[in-house]
Amino acid sequence: MRLRRIYNRISVLREERGISRKELAAEIGVNFQTVGYLEREEYSPSLDLAFRISEYFGVPIELVFSTSPMRPLSQEILDYRSKKGE
Amino acid sequence: MKLKMSKSTRRIAVIVNYGCILMILVFFGIGKYEGWSAPLVAGAIAAAIVAVVSFILLHMGTRLWKLVHTKVDKLDEREVQITHESLRNSYAIFTVISLLVLMCIALLAGRDDSFLMFIFASLLYLAHTLPSSIIAWTEREI
Repeated sequence: MRLRRIYNRISVLREERGISRKELAAEIGVNFQTVGYLEREEYSPSLDLAFRISEYFGVPIELVFSTSPMRPLSQEILDYRSKKGE
Repeated sequence: MKLKMSKSTRRIAVIVNYGCILMILVFFGIGKYEGWSAPLVAGAIAAAIVAVVSFILLHMGTRLWKLVHTKVDKLDEREVQITHESLRNSYAIFTVISLLVLMCIALLAGRDDSFLMFIFASLLYLAHTLPSSIIAWTEREI
C-alpha cells in the first residue's frame, strides 16, 4: 500500500512555542525520535496522533497537516485577512 | 546510554554478527566430524568473541533489542509500525531458512522417506496459511 505524503507545520509551531522535541513528545505521548520523523515528514501520523498534535497546539488540524506542501504561515494570515477584507 | 550508529554501520554489524554465528557453526561442524585442532578452536573462540561484541553493540547499544521485545502498548505508533514490518520480514526469512535447514538435515541424514517429506510439506503449508488463518480467526469482517 502506497500512502500519500502528509506535509505538516509541526516544527514551525513547536519552535514558535519554544519547546523541545522531547517536551512535545511527552505531551503527545510518543518517543521523541518520532517527533523528528514527523517534522522531517518521513512518517505520516495516524488520525488519532494528528488530532493529539493539533489539540496540543490549539489549532485546527488543517493548519498543521496537509496533503499538499505547506505555504508559509505569514501567507496564510495575509490570505485570511484579505478574505475578511481587512 | 544509547549508541548512535549510522545505517551503513548497522548493516555491517548485522553481516558481521550473522557471519560469525555461521563461522561458529562451520567450525563446530568441522570440529565434531573432522576433529578439533588448535587453529580451529582459536577460530571458533575469535568468532564467538566478535559475535558477542557485535551483538552487544548492535542490539543492546542501539536499544533495538528493547524495541522489538517491548509490549506493543508501550510503543508509539511509529515504533509499532516498524516492529510489525520487521516481524513480517523476519517471519518470511525465518520460514525459508528453517525449511531449508530442515531439508538439508534430511538430505544429509540420507533419509528420503515419505513421512519426512510430509512433515516438510505440512510446515510449508502452515507457514503460508498461518497469517490468513489468524485473520480468519480474529477479524469480524474481511
